[in-house]
Amino acid sequence: MSPNTTSSTGKDKLIADEEKVLQAVILADSFNKRFKPLTTHKPRCLLPICNAPLLDWTFESLALAGVQEIFVICRSHAELVKTAIKNSKWSKPGAGLKIVPIVTAKETFTPGDAMRDIYTHGIITSDFVLVTGDLVSNIHIGDVVREHKERRKTDKDAIMTMVVKQSGVNHRTRSKGDSAVFVIDPETSKCLHYEAVTGYPPKKYASIPREILNEHPEVEIRNDLIDCSIDICSVEVPSLFQDNFDYGDVRRDFVHGVLTSDLLMKSIYCYIAKEGYAARVRDTRSYDSISKDILARWTFPLVPDDNHPGGHSYEHLRGNKYIAKDNSVILSRTCKIGNNTLIGSKSQIADNAQVTASVLGQRCIVGAGSIVRNSYLFDGAVIGPNCVVEHSIIGSGVHIKERTHVERGCLIADGVVVGPQAKLAPFSRLSKRRQDSDEEDDEFEDAEEQFEEEEDGDDESEDGDDEDEVDSELEDVEANQDPEALAKLGSDTNAIIWPLPVVDEDEAIDDLEHPDNQRLMRIGDNASDLVLSDPGSVTSSESESESDDDDDDEHFYDSNPASSTTSLPLSTPSNLVAQADSAVISEFQQEVKQSLDRAFAEGHSVDNAAVELKTLRMASNVSLRLVREAVIAAMVSRIKIIAGGGIPQRQEIASMIARWGGLIDKIGGVDPVETVEILQEYSASSDRLPLFGQILAALYQDDIVDEDDIRAWHGKSKSQGQGVKPASLQDCYNKCWVTGAHMIKQFDEQDSDEESEEDSDEGSETSEPAVKIPVTKELPSAGENSSEEGSCEESSDEEDEGDTDEDDSE
Amino acid sequence: MMNFDVTPVEVVTREFVAVILAGFGNELLPLTGEHGDEPCPKALLPISNKPMLDYPLSWVEQSGIKDVLLICPSSHRSAISHYIHSQSSSASFSSVHIDLQTFDESQELSAGTCSVLRHFANRIKEDFILIPCDFIPPPSLPLSKLLNKFRTDTMSDGSIVTSCWYEHKSDKQATQDEWGWGSPAKPTPIVWDHLSGTLLYVDSPYETDKNRHELELRMTLLSRYPQAKLSSMLLDSHVYVCKRAVLDLLARKTRFDSLRDDFFPWLCKLQYQSTKQEKYATSIRIGIIIHRADDGFAIRVNNLPAYLEANRHFVADTSIGDFTRVEEKSTIKNSTIGKHCVIGKMVKIVGCVLLDHCVISDGAKLDGCILGNSTTVGMKAELVKCVTQAGYEVKDNESVRHEKLDISDWAAQPEDSEGDDEDSIGEEESDEDED
Repeated sequence: MSPNTTSSTGKDKLIADEEKVLQAVILADSFNKRFKPLTTHKPRCLLPICNAPLLDWTFESLALAGVQEIFVICRSHAELVKTAIKNSKWSKPGAGLKIVPIVTAKETFTPGDAMRDIYTHGIITSDFVLVTGDLVSNIHIGDVVREHKERRKTDKDAIMTMVVKQSGVNHRTRSKGDSAVFVIDPETSKCLHYEAVTGYPPKKYASIPREILNEHPEVEIRNDLIDCSIDICSVEVPSLFQDNFDYGDVRRDFVHGVLTSDLLMKSIYCYIAKEGYAARVRDTRSYDSISKDILARWTFPLVPDDNHPGGHSYEHLRGNKYIAKDNSVILSRTCKIGNNTLIGSKSQIADNAQVTASVLGQRCIVGAGSIVRNSYLFDGAVIGPNCVVEHSIIGSGVHIKERTHVERGCLIADGVVVGPQAKLAPFSRLSKRRQDSDEEDDEFEDAEEQFEEEEDGDDESEDGDDEDEVDSELEDVEANQDPEALAKLGSDTNAIIWPLPVVDEDEAIDDLEHPDNQRLMRIGDNASDLVLSDPGSVTSSESESESDDDDDDEHFYDSNPASSTTSLPLSTPSNLVAQADSAVISEFQQEVKQSLDRAFAEGHSVDNAAVELKTLRMASNVSLRLVREAVIAAMVSRIKIIAGGGIPQRQEIASMIARWGGLIDKIGGVDPVETVEILQEYSASSDRLPLFGQILAALYQDDIVDEDDIRAWHGKSKSQGQGVKPASLQDCYNKCWVTGAHMIKQFDEQDSDEESEEDSDEGSETSEPAVKIPVTKELPSAGENSSEEGSCEESSDEEDEGDTDEDDSE
Repeated sequence: MMNFDVTPVEVVTREFVAVILAGFGNELLPLTGEHGDEPCPKALLPISNKPMLDYPLSWVEQSGIKDVLLICPSSHRSAISHYIHSQSSSASFSSVHIDLQTFDESQELSAGTCSVLRHFANRIKEDFILIPCDFIPPPSLPLSKLLNKFRTDTMSDGSIVTSCWYEHKSDKQATQDEWGWGSPAKPTPIVWDHLSGTLLYVDSPYETDKNRHELELRMTLLSRYPQAKLSSMLLDSHVYVCKRAVLDLLARKTRFDSLRDDFFPWLCKLQYQSTKQEKYATSIRIGIIIHRADDGFAIRVNNLPAYLEANRHFVADTSIGDFTRVEEKSTIKNSTIGKHCVIGKMVKIVGCVLLDHCVISDGAKLDGCILGNSTTVGMKAELVKCVTQAGYEVKDNESVRHEKLDISDWAAQPEDSEGDDEDSIGEEESDEDED
């Protein structure tokens, strides 16, 4: 704003602009459930970070930026948010901030819906700042707003300025699972292209439209920016959301949509903040890193010992230790407080306890000899003696009893009691059983319950369910408790275990929220088994064919059949990850084997066996494929080989598959193609090779694999034994493959003469469902074929010569 | 042929050899068309009355490099070797030892640069600099700048190639669209990292075929170089300082044809795809030097508009070669006239390039033309923006616009109404005998 502008009309207008109140909109809902179960009774924006609710940090950041009017859009737990706003120091008269909570309909599922709601409310009168309710920032947004307004004078179509922070690619606060590539004109900092990047499965290419080069011949491609989710928006932005009702996410839909649209002709700019700090608590991992950033004073002047948003006062000691100033903290003489630690008032640390790089809320107690590392304890959490808590978030009022081990990545919701002598698997998520939540713990859940009862409809949950659905979700969780796993939580526990995130095949889930991608956003998860670099560059080392140039994508898919799961490509010996983890894997294989031995011997139910496997898998963080291998190996090895084969053999196989086949699909993911592969792999290297066809037929009958899966498997080059070493195995692979070929041939025949066959065979069949009749008749014969082929190899070799010749040349 | 080689055997191992590739210059037809039976090698086309080859050679010489491997088509051998050993050039390049080698190819079916290089791999024993004969380097960019970057990069992190890209701003006044001789060279979109000076991605026809609307960049690239720049303003100078190992890689990729379209785009990928690195057992980096238009004029003379532009650039207004005669009342503006030309009376020449031995008869008007060696222009003929093949004859009173005039297919063009049964063979041969 140049003060010496003399043109009178222009000046008046400028002054009018200047006088306008700077408005901000806070999206206080996160629209996802990454913090579950911590957020079942509390919205994310009220979770404390460094002992002050996130929302207060956000207010503080906005106040620092000179915002005067704030609209808080809340959806889940709206009443809680309202109370929090009412009690906030910023609502006190004279604070200079006007904070207005706006409760949106519970049908608001995305930020886009919230923006449409803002539009209908008509509260926005000028350019405004759009932030999320989990922002921690000390950036001078005022500068950005000024820049935005300045730009608006020359470019009416500049509707938005995104604040991004320069960092490194692997900065701890930069989310690996949810980042973006920005293409920016370096001179105007206009954003020309936005490409969202999901961490897993790793994105391979950023596709930059060539047409942007026509107008901007030289651009920068930035992959090192932290998106702070601070946007300076013009008044048109909510109306654009209104016009494009399919915009959900502000980035992935709105920004992408505006930039790619040929019709809108609007432009979006970036403000690359070189100084200052801004980050969003988007997930538990960033919760961890932002807490550390605050303790390391990157957010200055917003630090625990000054401007603490919760109004607490802390004393800053050397090594970034913060101890509440009111002399209420009791530290035993022999306890050890490590660096980067914050301890709230009235907390007690007993003898020989160690607290390192952690945040303790108020009234926390750490028992004698306990170790708390990289963990976050909310108010009133009690850790008993001789416990270990690592890389975890512990809700308020949680009581962890003596000698309990809380492994990395655990989220323990408010009021849970665990122990004594429990051992929590890594990444366990615990919440309190519902029935007792009504009886006890009145002190701190008072308010909530009151509201829950009043507002039964719309105060629950962040994922778009209303109270009933959450109840049913909890009910589901409660109903599916595994007593054995629960037993491990100690005798006094009141907890229920939330299931591991499982991909629901039916549910369309976007890549961002996919469990594997979410792992990148989990606290304490180093995700070392996920192949995160460009897959083409790590896995496909083998092929020496001359034409490798740009087809390594295909290699990737070949060597990673478990595309839907966490795949650990064991097939490549060069893989460093595999080597590093091989110890873990062999241990895991041992354990799985024992577990299955027990299950078979003691006749566990399929479900129980499945739960046990899942827990084991999570505990050692290995890929699903290993579990599948173990299960199939266990099953096949238990099928007795009956001399003479024929019908008794078939019955033997059928009974085994009928009893245990279901387990294959219950280990946490369904991938029939992989199942067939593993079956082949196992059969080929064992004495049960002749049974391959019959087992496959049995799996087919029990719907564990279907026709398409067999075809898919058959189509893969590896199925024919290519690249398999030693060469002797290759033969065995080939035999299996030929068996599969027979089966597919029969499928094809079936399709043509299903009708006629049915009639003629009906008599010989017993009680099988009609549809399967032709199959049951023919598939065993396929199995027999394969056993015959064991003796006469020539014939089988001849048969597939035509198919394999070209590729086998190496 | 090498009997004139009097350089004593060197004891010191050579650091670099400069490999200069001289091709046919098909883009410069009809200037490079045959003049009778004599070829008109592209490398010898004059730019402001100096053969094109002079520019890269003196660039090399200034950097202190002593050895040049000059590769040309076998049909150009005598012309080029004559040039090399003619007094003028051997005097100016006395410190450079030029090893002239030829390869067999015809103008119609020219061999790819990859195969040429592969063929001569055994003659290149050390690191080498690949230079095209048509690059006119700017004075502000000495070759030693590239060599120094190459030296530091190879020492520090195993860079094996240093490339050079330049920005070219064509003059506003000469908007090339109207020429009708084909457009000037189009810049190739490239991605590079500014901080480390690393070339990361070169767009190639293959990529364009794969995805015409989007540039696909690997995320591994962007993770390694998070502040990459993408530009579609830069042109490849085709100057590459290479490690000897590049030839080994080239030998393994037998199906590559063009260095610029196939090999270097592929090499860029080798930088960040560890699969390929494992396979080729190298980890490499490709350095880049970017020469901005503001820092000096650089151009590759590989098409007609560029040829005209290069000539204009070096001439403030008009330059006239030795032994050329200009008669009275003629005006010559903004043009370059070669040696031994005869320009008649009342001739008007604006913005033209005339090669040696041209004869312009009285009253002719030439505007924006390039006339090949020994072109004769008849009385009162008028040529606007034409290019002629060496030895072409323009009839009296003929008027031609926007044409490429070559000898072989004059008969095939009926619209040239005045095309007579002229025979082109009776032309004088152009000899460089002025000294």
